[in-house]
Amino acid sequence: MTMEIRRYILGRLFQITLIFFVILTVLFLLFRLAPGDPVSRMVDPNMTPEDAQRLIEQLGLDLPMWQQYLIYLENFLKGRFGISFHYGQPVSEIILNRLPNTILLFTSSILLAAFVGVFLGKIVSWKKGERIDTWVTIGALVCHTLFLPWLALIIIWVFAYWIGWFPLTGMISAEIWTDPSAGLLRKGLDIAHHMALPLITLFLIHFGSYLLVMRSSMLDTLREDYILTARAKGLDEATIRNRHAAPNAALPVITSVGLSLAFSINGGALTETVFTWPGLGRELVFAVSNNDYPLAQASFLLIAAVVLTANLVVDLLYAYLDPRIRY
Amino acid sequence: MKTGNEQRDAFAAPAGRREWLAGGWALFWENPIGKIGLILMACFALMAAASFVPPLLDPMYHPMHGVDPEISHATGPSAAHWLGTDFIGRDIFSQLLAGARIAFMVGLSAAFMSIFFGTLIGMISGYAGRFADTVLMRLADMVMVMPTLLVVLILSSLFGQLRIWTIVLLIALFRWPGVSRIIRSQTLTLKHRPFIEAARVAGASHLRIIFRHILPNVLPLAMLYMTFRVTSAIIIEAALAFLGFGDPGTVSWGMMLQWVWKTGHMFQAPYWLLPPGICISLLTLSFYMLGRAMEEVLDPRLRKEGESD
Amino acid sequence: MALLEAEHLSIGYRTRKGLLRAVEDVSFSLEPGGSLGFVGESGCGKTTIGMALMGLLPANGSIFGGELRFKGQNLVGISDERLQKLRWKEIAMIFQAAMNALNPIQRVEDQIVEAIRHHEPEVSAAQAAERVSSLFSLVDLDPERSRDYPHQYSGGMKQRAIIAMALACRPDVIIADEPTTALDVIVQAQILAEIRRVQKEMDVAVLFISHDIAVVAEVCRHIAVMYAGQIVEQGTRKEVFETPAHPYTQALLDAYLTIEEENATLPRAMNGESPNLAAPPKGCRFYDRCPHADAQCRQEPPTWISLSPTHKVMCYGPRS
Repeated sequence: MTMEIRRYILGRLFQITLIFFVILTVLFLLFRLAPGDPVSRMVDPNMTPEDAQRLIEQLGLDLPMWQQYLIYLENFLKGRFGISFHYGQPVSEIILNRLPNTILLFTSSILLAAFVGVFLGKIVSWKKGERIDTWVTIGALVCHTLFLPWLALIIIWVFAYWIGWFPLTGMISAEIWTDPSAGLLRKGLDIAHHMALPLITLFLIHFGSYLLVMRSSMLDTLREDYILTARAKGLDEATIRNRHAAPNAALPVITSVGLSLAFSINGGALTETVFTWPGLGRELVFAVSNNDYPLAQASFLLIAAVVLTANLVVDLLYAYLDPRIRY
Repeated sequence: MKTGNEQRDAFAAPAGRREWLAGGWALFWENPIGKIGLILMACFALMAAASFVPPLLDPMYHPMHGVDPEISHATGPSAAHWLGTDFIGRDIFSQLLAGARIAFMVGLSAAFMSIFFGTLIGMISGYAGRFADTVLMRLADMVMVMPTLLVVLILSSLFGQLRIWTIVLLIALFRWPGVSRIIRSQTLTLKHRPFIEAARVAGASHLRIIFRHILPNVLPLAMLYMTFRVTSAIIIEAALAFLGFGDPGTVSWGMMLQWVWKTGHMFQAPYWLLPPGICISLLTLSFYMLGRAMEEVLDPRLRKEGESD
Repeated sequence: MALLEAEHLSIGYRTRKGLLRAVEDVSFSLEPGGSLGFVGESGCGKTTIGMALMGLLPANGSIFGGELRFKGQNLVGISDERLQKLRWKEIAMIFQAAMNALNPIQRVEDQIVEAIRHHEPEVSAAQAAERVSSLFSLVDLDPERSRDYPHQYSGGMKQRAIIAMALACRPDVIIADEPTTALDVIVQAQILAEIRRVQKEMDVAVLFISHDIAVVAEVCRHIAVMYAGQIVEQGTRKEVFETPAHPYTQALLDAYLTIEEENATLPRAMNGESPNLAAPPKGCRFYDRCPHADAQCRQEPPTWISLSPTHKVMCYGPRS
């Protein structure tokens, strides 16, 4: 790794840490300054007065603002996010439990959508102007503009309710997971079975935009001089497109994936909610509906961290794949 | 190879505003995507306008409060209720029409506001440069990383039930970074053009230069991006309403979907489930198509490759 | 037998405004190891000829008349397969504005190796890499840098790499289309010297295309001056430079200020415009800009006049 790339990585790391820090601070201010009693947001109204008082002292809610802020930061770094009003459990336990589920669904849907989108976009750009190009492009466009929760409902209706191939809700089937003889493979397949529908829903919504970006990127790339060189070298069309055009055309798609990550996580939260997939997004929605402030705040922070990390990963991937940045 | 004439035409500045508009309109109309988008949008505009009609005909058709005295549960399409009734006997069709009105209102105002912020910030950033530029663009980066829906969710947990205009404002506050980048780079290229330098030499103040000279030139681009902002605004509002965080006093398509879902009718009432979702998607599609067609008109590089090369 | 022969070659582009006659009734020949330069302004058709040779005309371009023979075989209408085999192995090309002619995300060595192994599959990867090394040395590039990416090269280095790549399969002809246009003068001179040297050492024929007659003269023993799709004058370098017969050639040479006499005079600027190739005039195409034109020039197109076995001009009134 060259000096430049090391500096680049460190720079990006610093950047996202900074952004996260700002979010943390803004959240702190919002929770303290929003109308209403800030104490009620931190302390479960159902607690006994003694417990409540103890918690108030622990969180420093009776101290001046800047001191509260320091305690807040300290608590955050130590992973102490309070107790969930709704579950009565430490928030950190809950969100850490949900985190892998979200990452699993989110990552696999984006990867699937990206690969299929790039592949189809590449093929469709070869056949520009032909029937298949028109139909696939229209299909991608329609998918892209479908309303996600609605699509999710329809998919559940058709495949889980009507045809009945897939489960209606949740991530796991209790029977399998409580069965002591069930092996890892069986449990894994069970999760996959439950994940199929939400995965397809997310995939349908996202692959369209990646396809369209790849298609137009390919059309741009095919006009470049080095494609003419490749042709002049006597290479056949397939080699030109696959070895010279596609790798270059795929780079803007990666950028596009990075830019749409925030949008994707919105979709992720909606999907989790409709499919009752126990992830961070669903937890956030749930917590907000129940006025479970500690849980809501922590879920949001963790989701923000996931998005920022994903952005970093995409940036690094791009830097790795584009030699103009690496060297 | 192009002859001298053709080469000149390819790079000619628009002859005059009127010819440019006329030529642009012709190109727009040629494109089937633009045509379809416009027609679709017109249909929805018609729906939105028509939304005022049903309650005037009979108070039971009011989307929010109107209840059919004879029906108090979900029923299928009938003569009196073209799309049937919802779970408490309200007419679904008039809800659909009202939803169109809300969608346009939310979409256009949120888009307009975000374009307003974005253009302003983009111009200032590009024109002022250095410190202001860095700060503003860093801010843009931060806002862009935020998932708008989830942010509004958190805010609604703090501020209670949000009114529709608050939602619109919040959407606008989080969607401006995209357009500000484009406007900023456009401003940067314009900044070094001779006519700007001439204005500066002539003693024009910075404000005057920004609003009198730069703004008219970035406006077409801003308008273009407005169409894309409309689609995201509509979707975010619908998602919010769907999750139950919308304005309970407005009947939007997202709200309709929430009712279907939460009252457990999603499997039994396709006449209720399907129309709102189809409408959201079609309206989004129509704005997107409009945007793409406009893009071809405004960006000469994207014009059809039918010219000689 | 001539390596390359064109006889009454006509090439056109189908456009919205009709058929653009980019190259009209052009004839020339190139001997093995020889060098022929095409000079003319942009749009005169010289690049079109180069592209047609490689079969790289865009979708709307086609050869609609005449023959183009390479080693005796007519290239007009040959199969794609045959064309792909021919490309690079027997005819290679160095492009205009070479800045982007190399794939930015592939190492330079790999791109050259690709060409070699495509045409000579029996060559192993190691052997191909070695050949790249020697090619680099040939064009004065450091072989150690062959594993770099194109963006790490300077403009002159990129152009040398492209020349090396063109030579990789030992072609019989190299078409060089404005290879020095985007380079600064010093690098330009170096590249031209490189091309001359390489041509001699590897006995490659060169078809050089440029708008700059001085550049063409540095490399080519024979020059063909083109205007509006036609060759208007053809001859050896000496003949064209010392005794230019066509008014256009004279104008091109005039454009070079030389302080030979005591009073150096500025060249006369050419007025008028280049003709519309979709609807060319019936008379001489240079009529609009020719200082010596008369009524006959406007009515009928001129025919070839031979001034010597190697020198001919298409004009009514050759003036030496």
